[in-house]
Amino acid sequence: MKPLFFIIRKSLKNLIKGILKKPLVLIGYIFALLFVVLMVFMAFFMPSELIQSAPPELFRGIVTLVFTFMYFTYLKVGLDKGSTYFRMADVNLAFTSPIKPNKIMLYAFIKQIGATILFLFIAICQIPNLKNNFAMHSYGAAVILLAAVLFALAYPLINMAIYSWVTKKEQRKKRVKWVFNVLAIFVVVFALINLGSTGDIGKTISAVFDNPIAHYFPVIGWTASIANAAVTGFTMEFWVGAVLMTILIAGGSVAIYRMNLDYYEDVLKGTEYVEAAVKAKREGNNLRFNLKVKDNVKQKITGKGAAALFYKNLAELRKTAIFLFFDRSSITVIVSSIIFKFVMSETIDEASTMLTILVFSLYIQLIMQVQVKLNSELDKHYVFLIPESSQKKLLYGTLAVHVKNLIDGFILFVISGILFKASVPVIIACALTYTLFGAVYVYTDVLSLRLFGGVHSKGLLLFIKIIVHILIFIPGIIAAVLTGAFTESTLFAICALGGWSLVLAITFFMLSSGIFNNLESAG
Amino acid sequence: MLKVNKLTKNYGKVIAVNKATFEIDNGEIGVLIGPNGAGKSTTIKSIAGLLRFEGEITIGGKPNKSKEAKRIFGYVPESPAVYEYLSVWDHLEFIARAYNLTDWESAAENLLARFDMSDKKDKLGKDLSKGMQQKVSLCCALLIKPSMIMLDEPMIGLDPKAIKELKDIFLELKRSGCAILISTHILDSIADIWDKALIMNESEIVYNNTREKLEADGESLEHIFFSITEPEKAEGGQTA
Repeated sequence: MKPLFFIIRKSLKNLIKGILKKPLVLIGYIFALLFVVLMVFMAFFMPSELIQSAPPELFRGIVTLVFTFMYFTYLKVGLDKGSTYFRMADVNLAFTSPIKPNKIMLYAFIKQIGATILFLFIAICQIPNLKNNFAMHSYGAAVILLAAVLFALAYPLINMAIYSWVTKKEQRKKRVKWVFNVLAIFVVVFALINLGSTGDIGKTISAVFDNPIAHYFPVIGWTASIANAAVTGFTMEFWVGAVLMTILIAGGSVAIYRMNLDYYEDVLKGTEYVEAAVKAKREGNNLRFNLKVKDNVKQKITGKGAAALFYKNLAELRKTAIFLFFDRSSITVIVSSIIFKFVMSETIDEASTMLTILVFSLYIQLIMQVQVKLNSELDKHYVFLIPESSQKKLLYGTLAVHVKNLIDGFILFVISGILFKASVPVIIACALTYTLFGAVYVYTDVLSLRLFGGVHSKGLLLFIKIIVHILIFIPGIIAAVLTGAFTESTLFAICALGGWSLVLAITFFMLSSGIFNNLESAG
Repeated sequence: MLKVNKLTKNYGKVIAVNKATFEIDNGEIGVLIGPNGAGKSTTIKSIAGLLRFEGEITIGGKPNKSKEAKRIFGYVPESPAVYEYLSVWDHLEFIARAYNLTDWESAAENLLARFDMSDKKDKLGKDLSKGMQQKVSLCCALLIKPSMIMLDEPMIGLDPKAIKELKDIFLELKRSGCAILISTHILDSIADIWDKALIMNESEIVYNNTREKLEADGESLEHIFFSITEPEKAEGGQTA
C-alpha cells in the first residue's frame, strides 16, 4: 500500500503548495470557508422564534427524493459507462504495476472519501437552510453528512457490480434499463396521481417518499433513513439503514479485497468517461458534456462576417437541444422555479408571485450559466481570425445565448402566467428581465476572462460570481423596491429591475468588447 | 519473452481481436502495424493486463497478469495520463516504490536528461503539455529496466529530438536483450528499427514475418502492408 499512499500524500501536499503560491486563490478559499462557517454558525445560534418548523414528513420526503434522484441518475449513467473511482493515470501506471488489484481498490476507496469533500461542502451549505426550516436535532448536520459519505461510497460499488454483470450478456443491460425505467415511471405516475388529489407538492413529496416502503427500500431508503435521523432521532429505521449500509459497503469492500480480482476492464470505460467529463468541465463545457447530438437538424449556417458566428452557434445549440433551443438548462430553470413557487406557498398577489419566480429563476440561471458557450470558442483560433471588429464578434458570438434565454424566459413566464393568472405585461416584463440578466451573466463572465483568465476552480468561480452579482444587483433591487413602493405596482418594480440589468449588460459589454482582439486579451 | 497464443477479445458481439498468435523474443523489436480500428490497441491492452480475454499470454514464462510478469514489463499507453498533483519526479518515485526499485535516482536523472526534462522535474502533472506527459510515461516505463516493453503509438506528440532519443533507447534495450513491441500505424516511424512485423487487419494477425525473411524475398514492408490492407490500390502500384 505504501506506493499508493505516496500518491495520496504527495498529491495533497502539492495541491496545498499550489494554493499557497497563489494568494488571490488562497484568499478566495478562506473567504468561502469563512462564509460557510458563518452561515452554519448563524443558523445554529439564530433566535429560536425565527426558526420555522416545517413538518418532519416533508424533510424525510425531500431527503428520500434527493437520494432517489441521485442513485437513479448515477446508476443509470453507470449502467452504460461503468463506474469508477479511478483516473487514467491509475490505469496506466498503477494497474500495470505489480501491486495487488485489491490494494489498488482500497486506495481508490480512500481517494473516494477525499473526493466527497466537495460533496460535503455542498451538503454543509444546505444545513443552514434545513436548520431554518426544520426542527433539527443537535447532531442533525452530522447524520446528513454521514448519509452523504455513505452514498458516495456505496454507489460506485453497486455500479461496478451491476456493470460487470450486465456486460457479460447483451440482453441483461436492456432488462436492467427496463426495470430502472419502469420503477421511475411508477414513482412519477404515483406522484402525479397524488398531486392531482392533494394539489400540494409538499404533501405529495411526503406521501410518495415518506412511507415504510420508501424508508426500507434497498440502499435508497437505507441511506435516506440515516439522514432522516436529523429530525426524527435515532429510530429503528436509522439503525436498520446504518447497519445495512455498513454491511453493504464493508461487505462489498471485503469481498473485493479478498477475491481474486479482475476488475480492471470493468472500470476502464468508466474511467475514460470520467476523464472526458473532467476535460469538459475544465473547458467549461460540463453542461454540454455527453449530450446526444442530433444529426437531422436543418439549421443552415448563413450570415456574413461575424454574423456567421451567430448562425454557427444556433446550429450547435439546436443540435444538442431537445427541441429548438429547449435543453437541460431550460428544463432545470423552468421546472425548479415553478416547483419553488409551489413549495413557498404563501401568496400576496399574482404579480408578486411572478416576481418570486423571476428572482428564483435568475439565481438558477446564474448557476447554470457559470460556463458560457464562449469559453469553448476561445480555445480555438477561428474566432480571432475572422476579419471583423472584436465588438461585432462578441455581439454575434453571444447572440444565440440571448435568443435562447429569451425563448426560455417566455416559456417559463407564460406557463407561470397561466398557472398564477398574471397579466400579459407582467409576463413580458419578467421574460425580458430574465433575458437581460442572462446578458449580464454572459458579459461579466467575458470580463472576468479578460481580467483574470482561467480561474483556479469552477467551485470558487461560482462562489465569487454569486457574491459579485449580489453586489452589482443591489442598486437594481433598491430601485425596484422604491419603484414598487412609490407606484404600488409590481410590474413597474420588475421593469426597474430589468432597466438596471440593461444598464449593467451594456456596461459590461463595452468593458469586455476587446476580448477577440487577440489570444492574450482572452486571458 | 512474450508469447501470445490465440488471443481473442470480444466486446459484446464485436470481435476486436480474433485468435492472435505471435511471439517476441529477447532482443527483438516487434512492430504491430495496421489501419485504425484493426485491433492493435486492444491487443496491447490485453497484454498489459488491462482487459479480460480468451487465450493465453505469458511474459517471461509467467501469465501476463501475475505479479512476476508485471515486475518485468513496461507499458506506454496510447494516451498518456499523469497524476495532476504529482510532479515529474514524484511519478518516478512512485514507480520506484511500486516496483521496489533500489538506487533508481541516477537512472531517473539520466532518463530525464535524455528527454530534456531535467528542468521540469518539479513541474506538476497538470501543467505538462501532451508531449511532456508522453515523455513522463516513457520514463516511468523505462525506469524499471524492463525485460519486455510495449508501446502504443509512442512517437505521437514527441518532438524530433525525443523521437531520435527514443529510437536510440530502443536499440540500447534490444542490445540488452529486452523484447520490444511497438504498435503504430505510421510505418515510416519504425522503418529502420524493426526485426519482426505483425500486420493486423480486421481484428486478425494476417502477417507475421521477420525483416531477414522479408528482405530475402526482396519485399518491402510498405508494399506488403498495402497489399494486405488495400489490395486494390497495391495492385495498381500505389504506395504511401
